[in-house]
Amino acid sequence: MSAAQETLERQDQLQGIGCSRKRKEDPRFIQGRGLYVDDVKLPGMLFGALVRSPFAHARVVSINKEKALALPGVHAVVTAEDLKPLGLHWMPTLAGDTQAVLADEKVCFQQQEVAMVVADDRYIAADGAELVEVEYEALPALVDPHKAMDADAPIIREDLVGKDEAGQGKRTHDNHIFTWDVGDKDGTHRAFDNAEVTVREEILNPRVHPSPLETCGCVASFDKVKGDLTVYITSQAPHIVRTVVTLLSGIPESKVRIISPDIGGGFGNKVGIYPGYVAAIVASIVLGRPVKWIENRIDNLSTTAFARDYHGVGELAADKDGRIKALRFYALADHGAFNAHAQPTKWPAGLFSICTGSYDIPVAYARVDGVYTNKAPGGVAYRCSFRVTEAVYLIERMIDVLAQKLDIDKAEIRRRNFIKAEQFPYQSALGWEYDSGNYLPALEKVLEAVDYEGLRREQAEKRARGELMGIGICTFTEIVGAGPSKACDVLGVGMFDSCEIRVHPTGSAIARMGTITQGQGHQTTYAQIIASELGLSSDDIQIEEGDTDTAPYGLGTYGSRSTPVGGAATAMAARSIRAKAQKIAAHLLEVSPEDIEWDVDRFQVKGNPEAAKTMKEVAWAAYNNVPEGMEMGLESVNYYDPPNFTYPFGIYVCVVDIDRHTGETTIRRFYALDDCGTRINPMIIDGQIHGGLNEAFAVAMGQLISFDEDGNLQGNTLMDYFIPTFVETPHWETDYTVTPSPHHPLGAKGVAESPHVGGIPCFSNAIVDAFAHKGVTHLDMPHTAYKLWKTIRQLSLDT
Amino acid sequence: MAKTQVSFNVNGQDVDVLVEPRELLIHVLREQLRLTGSHIGCETSHCGACTVDINGQSVKSCTLLAVQAQGARVITVEGLAAGGELHPVQQAFMDEHGLQCGFCTPGMLVRGYRLLQENPNPSEEEIRMGMAGNLCRCTGYQNIVKSIQAAAAAMNADAGNQAE
Amino acid sequence: MKVTLNKVFPLDGSVEDAWQILKDIEAVAGCMPGAEITDTIDEHNYKGNVKVKIGPMNVAFHGDITVQDIDAGERQIHLIAKGQDSKGSSSASMDLVARVRESESSASELAGDAGVTVNGKLANFGGRMMTQVSDQILGQFADNFSSKLATSTASGESDEPVAKPEVKQINGLKFAWDALVGWIKSFFSRKA
Repeated sequence: MSAAQETLERQDQLQGIGCSRKRKEDPRFIQGRGLYVDDVKLPGMLFGALVRSPFAHARVVSINKEKALALPGVHAVVTAEDLKPLGLHWMPTLAGDTQAVLADEKVCFQQQEVAMVVADDRYIAADGAELVEVEYEALPALVDPHKAMDADAPIIREDLVGKDEAGQGKRTHDNHIFTWDVGDKDGTHRAFDNAEVTVREEILNPRVHPSPLETCGCVASFDKVKGDLTVYITSQAPHIVRTVVTLLSGIPESKVRIISPDIGGGFGNKVGIYPGYVAAIVASIVLGRPVKWIENRIDNLSTTAFARDYHGVGELAADKDGRIKALRFYALADHGAFNAHAQPTKWPAGLFSICTGSYDIPVAYARVDGVYTNKAPGGVAYRCSFRVTEAVYLIERMIDVLAQKLDIDKAEIRRRNFIKAEQFPYQSALGWEYDSGNYLPALEKVLEAVDYEGLRREQAEKRARGELMGIGICTFTEIVGAGPSKACDVLGVGMFDSCEIRVHPTGSAIARMGTITQGQGHQTTYAQIIASELGLSSDDIQIEEGDTDTAPYGLGTYGSRSTPVGGAATAMAARSIRAKAQKIAAHLLEVSPEDIEWDVDRFQVKGNPEAAKTMKEVAWAAYNNVPEGMEMGLESVNYYDPPNFTYPFGIYVCVVDIDRHTGETTIRRFYALDDCGTRINPMIIDGQIHGGLNEAFAVAMGQLISFDEDGNLQGNTLMDYFIPTFVETPHWETDYTVTPSPHHPLGAKGVAESPHVGGIPCFSNAIVDAFAHKGVTHLDMPHTAYKLWKTIRQLSLDT
Repeated sequence: MAKTQVSFNVNGQDVDVLVEPRELLIHVLREQLRLTGSHIGCETSHCGACTVDINGQSVKSCTLLAVQAQGARVITVEGLAAGGELHPVQQAFMDEHGLQCGFCTPGMLVRGYRLLQENPNPSEEEIRMGMAGNLCRCTGYQNIVKSIQAAAAAMNADAGNQAE
Repeated sequence: MKVTLNKVFPLDGSVEDAWQILKDIEAVAGCMPGAEITDTIDEHNYKGNVKVKIGPMNVAFHGDITVQDIDAGERQIHLIAKGQDSKGSSSASMDLVARVRESESSASELAGDAGVTVNGKLANFGGRMMTQVSDQILGQFADNFSSKLATSTASGESDEPVAKPEVKQINGLKFAWDALVGWIKSFFSRKA
């Protein structure tokens, strides 16, 4: 075997970075041995059930607990009155606002939590909840965000009346939360005034919900003897939960243990702290027994973090050749009754300012106004990368609008506007430094793969026959990996992340991170990183996350930040171990460390590769034979504060055929090319792409959380809320290019949200493209068969 | 409510449980028998995370009262591996990356197992139709289809080998 | 959630006989399926109950009925009914203007304009059935009204005590089915 072959074989054996190795977490899941929160059963455990408001806006006149308390098996009925002496009836949100834990004198959204009944089992708790008598006095509800700031609008947050700010800057009305803007306002207005061409479109991102298959819940267990609190919780950010619980309860952080075990999907739905958790924790502390609270699907769809509800106006100014000269975006954000927006503190509109997209736009201005309405709180969720879904939807729709106005091909207009490879790192007009990108070759690769020219020819033929065929293109740039601590913090804690690695004497290792997987395969991918860095097989590297007693402090997993931040911390911790190991190897080989070089899994003497020590041999020596003055052991912890975000990108093409008699859409083809820099496990990446695209398909084609004019939810069960099954879900084709991140230790960027961010506008663009020859420039989502059928009827396309 | 005794066979073992008439089978399996592999994802019978196999049929155990399981032969995901060896459908899911968060997986496996008993050589369309009662948010379904196809191939090869 | 209904029902009796029933609030309440007057406060204010079953939901509303106006010249009544269910989880109100008048195609007709507003759980889970169920309820009301009219006409004495109809529950599911059947039938029976 040649040296090169031998090296490759040693590399393969590690199953490190780049290997599509099978997942290490699978064995327990396929045998039904996962440990999800609802699987936890502790001795003496009680069950909590919430009493919820049937009205969107009402005064709570009285709550009568008598009948509930009289039911055998009911131990407590907790209301705001019970929480007041503890100061816990309201709690701080991630967005600088406060939120009622249990309704305090009024309810502000339908299904808002009013009381928690704690009982011996879930059946008695449910019976008890039915027996709690609540008297309501209905108030007029505010449902349309456009009316939130009318002079005669009902006031929702009486607790904020007279306060001129609610955590995010100045307010101008009692239902106003914030106004945030970015960019060169005057320069942008001037550019529009002087432009050869302008386009404008009103663009809606309807309210939707991530609906992970596992709903939210917790088991709170307060040990009266030891005075410590353990909470098993469906959380994407266990350390933040621990810090908040300490701040709220006064129990020191050293006596609070938060455990996020296996989590059945997060998608941003499991970032915030929900009233159910707080009520369960209080009940456990008061009763001295574990209390389990698990919400049902209706609760989940009705009250936990929804996504979007951005009412936008997009404008582009361009020259006659379609070169964009300026961008002006405005959005009205419906945040619901409390601002529980999951965001880094200084970003009330998340990372919306990425809305200049993949294009070299010289000047831009964006502004977002947030308002309260009588709906559930939230806004940031559902694989959105902190409002990047809204931003990318706006720019990708608008460039198509511009293309149609100027009759320029939709791929060509993108070519003309792309940021060029030599412009990276690129300073966007709205303040971001894109680390790397190479859009043009990726676009050409995709267009060739789908035979774009052929598709356009086919479309022309079909149009001549009156058939509806659409081609959607989306060329997006994502921004993930929150984030540099000077810009990003959550409740004051900088958004670094961490990794601690310990190598055992016999050469296997354990590592713990501050992130927490919810299906992304961290137990495998982190092991692969360490395998490549330390020359140990990924089979021998145990990865643990989610237990705040053992994991180093981290900010959790959302916004595709695990690989960019956690993965970087992992690489840095591993390199620190390797640096120490090199010194030990030199000591064993009796040379100086400068004479040593690293080769896949061993240290060898430069010029004399026969003289080598494997990492395994060094690990043994680390515990009994280290150089003079060196401490024993082989471990490291790294807290990584990223210097920048990372900017993965993608080129997606979608082909649709719309039945002009029924409005039914067939997704004929979906081709997704993603560039996330260095690829750790291609199989896992593909899985993430498939999943994100499926969720994009759901959002674009059928999901909607809607309300009637009184704030009553319409369709908050799976009878109505569209979760695609095997049957509707189209086939996905994936492809890739690799443009590493220059600032990331591994060159890796993160990818899990890209398919959702890029997929939604791709589907939408395809649908609108199907009607473009009839002058349709935009259609709002969801693109249900009924809505498309109405458009077809309006345009008389079914005759 | 007064409790009543129900006896059935789960994964080869006879069990007796005391249940209220209104208790759902999924709760009895998970909380009394501690077979927590089957999961709860909704309350409207849509998601299929609770799917078990009863007397040779796929059944959503959230929509069955425990008393209705009297005398039944029940298989849950914990019963798929026989004698410590994984069932081909379980192996296939691992080989083809047919799971991510794992929450829908037990339901998928138990349904996939029965689908392949009903139809040992299903087409992609038949797989998609046959499993339409099981929802997944993570995988986009494509790799689950591949997993079922791989399991079918493995099982047919085995059957072929045995026949020889 | 608000539903507006405008309906006209043919009647078999004279306008005057019909008016005698319409202005008698207790008699009118008696025609509403599932409804009864429980208390008469004065001639303009009553308390009443209505039981409704829509799919899985069983709601028993209790509330107030206020007679806003009785116009003998126009033969028109204006009623407002407001109620909550016994658990406090749904509320409903109805603003009804009903009149009897001459008709070209029958002896007389009953015309009604109703705005029905439902809030809370019923609107949440029963929202999409509202129009059809309200339609059916009004249809049933008209049938009962017609029967009452026929009875009073036949007996010749409109103030003879009429046996109080049994307060049955409105079965929303049955109504929805009837509504569906009616809707399908309507495709085959369009008048020219």
